[in-house]
Amino acid sequence: MAVIDVVNLSKAFGPKVVLSGVNLAVEEGESLVVLGGSGTGKTVLLRNIMGLLTPDSGHVAVEGRIISQLSRDELFQVRQSIGMCFQMAALFDSMTVFENVAFGLRRHQKMTEGQIRARVEECLALVGMKGTDALKPAELSGGMKRRVGFARAIALKPKILLFDEPTTGLDPVMTDVIGRVILDLKHELGVTTITITHDLKSAFIIADRIALLFRGECIACQPPAGFRDNPHPVVQQFLRGDADGPFLQDPPPPKRKEAHA
Amino acid sequence: MVLTFFDKAGETVLKAMDTAGDFAVLAGRTFAAIFKRPFDGQNLFRQFQAVGVNSLPVVILTSLAVSMVFAVQLAFGFKQFQAEGLASQVEGLAVMRELAPVITGLMLSGRVGSAMAAELGTMQVTEQIDALECLATDPIHYLFVPRLLASVVMLPILTAISIYVGYWGGYLILVGVEGQSAYVFSNEFYKLLAFRDLRIALYKAFVFGMIIALVGCWKGYRTQGGAEGVGNAPTSSVVTSSLWILIADFFLTKLLLV
Repeated sequence: MAVIDVVNLSKAFGPKVVLSGVNLAVEEGESLVVLGGSGTGKTVLLRNIMGLLTPDSGHVAVEGRIISQLSRDELFQVRQSIGMCFQMAALFDSMTVFENVAFGLRRHQKMTEGQIRARVEECLALVGMKGTDALKPAELSGGMKRRVGFARAIALKPKILLFDEPTTGLDPVMTDVIGRVILDLKHELGVTTITITHDLKSAFIIADRIALLFRGECIACQPPAGFRDNPHPVVQQFLRGDADGPFLQDPPPPKRKEAHA
Repeated sequence: MVLTFFDKAGETVLKAMDTAGDFAVLAGRTFAAIFKRPFDGQNLFRQFQAVGVNSLPVVILTSLAVSMVFAVQLAFGFKQFQAEGLASQVEGLAVMRELAPVITGLMLSGRVGSAMAAELGTMQVTEQIDALECLATDPIHYLFVPRLLASVVMLPILTAISIYVGYWGGYLILVGVEGQSAYVFSNEFYKLLAFRDLRIALYKAFVFGMIIALVGCWKGYRTQGGAEGVGNAPTSSVVTSSLWILIADFFLTKLLLV
């Protein structure tokens, strides 16, 4: 049975349909990367998995439990087994790095202060952020914030990790660092992961399977090699990173030499 | 034309009911969450400090200023009728029954309620509240409850301090400037008052504390639209809570003085 099962998921905000009948199944220990243009519903998909949004139709099941049918206490129980890494890290800015990572442990685990300190240091070491515990989020760079966000997400030893655009806005070197951290976490913790990214290089390194969302629908979901050879024109255009093709709804501005002509 | 008018009127009524319903649901969830576990003493202590200790200077200064200016007006007014002796009695009545709780409530709605709205609003637009949800923590329990408890406990204490400061404000003007006897002033200040008046003042402060915390947290929690939304939340919180403090003051006075 799939750990995460997305069945006919649809979600609209007013007249704008963001997801339309999306089906995805993620097996235990698998790493799924979800690609797609801006506004194609990738983040909405993750928010539905976390129960932060309620589907208009269809459902998301995590370990066989349908998220939208759970009571609030049951939902909180499920959320303890999922670690969510936000696009801009969403660290609590009034707390230090240590307090951020220790937050879930203090709320949900009966641990002594010494055990909490040991676990926080272990998590920070896993993401290469050892020795930053006393810093405030405002003192960290974008890449450092994301990694602290990862440490906070793994502190409760979740079975599932969700990454929402972990490399957006970072320089190529830091993007590679984040890619490696995700890969390390996957191998060392053996967790099931869903990663949303625009970065094709890290997507092909991280993924066991790659899915592409296009206008609210999942048009491809296959292993990296198969995805690269997928003949679908939208997949090929996305891989080429070319403005010309069926990907954009509005026609792109003409290329410069055509404009001169 | 007529239909459009009714459409708009209906839309406004529905929107107002929707807003009131949303506030009522969040307020109900806050009261229901008060006794839920885990109990976060450190968070509560921080709120006691933010609402109570840090508000002391502003409450002392405004109470002093308002009681002094009120004493000046009373001394001037009663002098017209050669009834200067009544000034200290009326000063005591006004400070205890109205000025202390209302001034403390209004100042705290500006200082504390707006800070709550801005803090929660920033947390909302930067996904920190979503992060709380994802860490299996109820934002109502973690954010609303400590602020509510701190406000309903600290507002009555600050109001009591405001009454005490109000006494000395009146003393400074009526004894220090107008030349009344210090002995007479201290007797006359409490002459028209009973213990019931202090109780009413503290009840009022309790309700004002509830209004400030719930409105501030609600406005922050419902913030939308980035920087503009975060900018609007404190303003809206101060206006709404000040309005409700004044309306509640009228009804509480009518109700409790009977």
